[in-house]
Amino acid sequence: MSLVEPMPETDAVVVVDSLSVTFPSDEGVAEVVRGVSFSVGKGQRIGLVGESGSGKSLTARAIMQLIPSPGSVSAGEIRIAGNSAALSTANAPQWRGTTVAMITQDPLSSLNPLVRIGVQITEMLRHHLNYTRTQARARAVELLSAVGIPNPPRTLRQFPSVLSGGMRQRVALAIAISCNPSLLIADEPTTALDVTIQAQVLDLLEEMSATHHSAVLLISHDLGVVANFCDEILVMYAGRIVESGPTDQLIEDPQHPYTTALLTSVPSMTEALPERLVSIAGSPPVGGVAVKGCAFAPRCALAQPRCFEDEPALRQLDVSARRVACHAAGNATWPSRFQGPS
Amino acid sequence: MTQTSTLLSVRDLSVHFRLRRGPKDSRNVRAVDGVTFEIAKGQTLGIAGESGSGKSTVARSLVQITRPTGGTIYLDGSDVTSLKGRRLKEFRRRMQMVFQDPYDSLDPRMSVRDAIGEALSVSGLPGPRHDETVEELLRRVNLPASLARRYPGQLSGGQRQRVSIARALAVNPKIIICDEAVAALDVSIRAQVLNLLKDIQHDTGVAYLFISHDLSTLRFMADQVAIMYVGRVVEYGTSDEVFSRPLHPYTKALIAAVPSVTTRGRTRLKLSGEPPDPGNPPSGCPFHPRCPEAVDQCRLTRPELGTTDEGQSVACHVVLSRHGRDATRQVSP
Ligand SMILES: Nc1ncnc2c1ncn2[C@@H]1O[C@H](COP(=O)(O)OP(=O)(O)O)[C@@H](O)[C@H]1O
Ligand SMILES: Nc1ncnc2c1ncn2[C@@H]1O[C@H](COP(=O)(O)OP(=O)(O)O)[C@@H](O)[C@H]1O
Ligand code: SF4
Ligand code: SF4
Ligand SMILES: [Mg+2]
Ligand SMILES: [Mg+2]
Repeated sequence: MSLVEPMPETDAVVVVDSLSVTFPSDEGVAEVVRGVSFSVGKGQRIGLVGESGSGKSLTARAIMQLIPSPGSVSAGEIRIAGNSAALSTANAPQWRGTTVAMITQDPLSSLNPLVRIGVQITEMLRHHLNYTRTQARARAVELLSAVGIPNPPRTLRQFPSVLSGGMRQRVALAIAISCNPSLLIADEPTTALDVTIQAQVLDLLEEMSATHHSAVLLISHDLGVVANFCDEILVMYAGRIVESGPTDQLIEDPQHPYTTALLTSVPSMTEALPERLVSIAGSPPVGGVAVKGCAFAPRCALAQPRCFEDEPALRQLDVSARRVACHAAGNATWPSRFQGPS
Repeated sequence: MTQTSTLLSVRDLSVHFRLRRGPKDSRNVRAVDGVTFEIAKGQTLGIAGESGSGKSTVARSLVQITRPTGGTIYLDGSDVTSLKGRRLKEFRRRMQMVFQDPYDSLDPRMSVRDAIGEALSVSGLPGPRHDETVEELLRRVNLPASLARRYPGQLSGGQRQRVSIARALAVNPKIIICDEAVAALDVSIRAQVLNLLKDIQHDTGVAYLFISHDLSTLRFMADQVAIMYVGRVVEYGTSDEVFSRPLHPYTKALIAAVPSVTTRGRTRLKLSGEPPDPGNPPSGCPFHPRCPEAVDQCRLTRPELGTTDEGQSVACHVVLSRHGRDATRQVSP
């Protein structure tokens, strides 16, 4: 089990402590999130990256207490500032949306397609902040214009489906931010959008989180997106965090071979290009299938026999704020050639 | 580019759709409007642009899933614009397509062997030799021969896309059109498939029309690049020119919007607004409502593609008056 980063818990808005999530499977249980620990400080912007199936969305949903059945949190806990320790599902709705809010890749799934946008925003405000009908409407117009909706009164009367993907994401953001959450989780918020619209939405996310003093947990498969937005990055592989640290350190001096591979797999926009990309062989393990040793070993150019036996713990690297789960990291005598299982 | 090396030449291609919303409301959607480009043998032309700019419609009209409403397409010097029957079949052997979703080219009820075998029959290879050739093709795309018995649903996304590529290769095409072929793949798998496509090109001399909304992928793959906006090409040049010295304000904004790891933290040129509805585009230069460099003329007249002193083709009044010669079509048939 790994330790939570040394951050005074009073400064943290959310602490995720040794979280595991399982689903029943043919072989018993599939552990698709394994011992994930991190904390998000006030106003911090944290990025969670990894390939599809690595457990990013389930980590987010565990914080929201929205793990889809028959899955469940099998170990660990989530502590949310200002709320008593182990939150029960029974009191989740009270803080969900107010203390922690979430937007997803497809706003149509978080917005109700059959309810006018105005009703969805004003209900939120009336229910959670006890606004009157008139107050709520005025605030809704304010919020929509703050997120760059050209004609807020008209949009309030519309249904989500008539808006473009970019406009829908703006509306979802307006609703998410309306109750000043201390943490906003954004799960692949720009994956379905063009780069130009993505840049607009990320700018807006930055602006809104700053004015509303919300921390952000930005989830993306795109390291470029999180590197441009976040102070700190968590890299996930096969259900675990394999490396974390401040953005500049992690990008300029990656310690885990998987982080390095993610960086070299994407062609640069500015530097001279190689004839072939440095890619990783193979593909990630199927979600939750138990593997012996390091889950990355079959694809890792640095793997040694030991890697196929012992799973490396996520450990703090020297005195920095870096954590890495790799036997080779910081080991000057580690051989540089693949040796395979013994 | 010498005349003999030209494989595909597309002249003034247009695809207009009639969109009916009611008995009295019908509009013309110019999904593709006067597009001209060339691809040399063994080369890759990349097309980029926001969604709705007409990239897929170009691809679909080239393989004749959608009929062009104007223009001419030449393959190896002969007009292939509207073929039918046997000649269309023969043409499909020379031009293949790989889609974003492999299910668009793979039937979920057909095993990998049968899917590739079907393509081999089209190319006239006798049945008894199929197994051997299927194996060879699978090896070509770095898949184990044992995969031949599987069905698409039993494969990972990356494996399915490799099977689509193997199937396209089965007929020995001159050109493969890849429409967002790697968009659905995770970065590590995407890099493998991009390397594979390059290796295949190196070995067989196949040309690609490579469509991608991802500019860094395009920079890696393409020799030439065309940037589209609302159905038209607004900038066209070598990959080096367009990426290192973009001239059209739209190209500049598009490149600046890419969230690259290496350029993180830099203030970037921001593009406001969304692309217009191609059924109701703005007057003059369709980019003018979003353009940071627009001048009065931009609202009134539409700029034609003209060649700049630097050798790129750009459709922009401001760029052409600054760098340009005159705004006439430069490509000769
Ligand atoms: N409803 C579910 N039932 C069974 N397995 C699931 C379910 N949802 C997710 N999983 C498994 O959990 C793993 C992690 O999923 P997820 O957190 O959605 O990944 P990510 O967001 O990183 O793409 C996946 O490999 C998937 O197989
Ligand atoms: N069959 C069709 N009928 C009407 N409009 C169409 C049809 N196919 C495409 N379009 C329109 O043509 C435009 C270009 O679409 P497309 O070529 O798919 O763009 P891209 O691939 O660049 O995203 C879009 O506005 C689209 O709605
Ligand atoms: S522990 Fe071994 S296999 Fe795993 S990432 Fe490190 S070197 Fe590679
Ligand atoms: S013609 Fe005018 S509006 Fe169009 S891209 Fe050039 S400067 Fe901008
Ligand atoms: Mg996800
Ligand atoms: Mg398309």
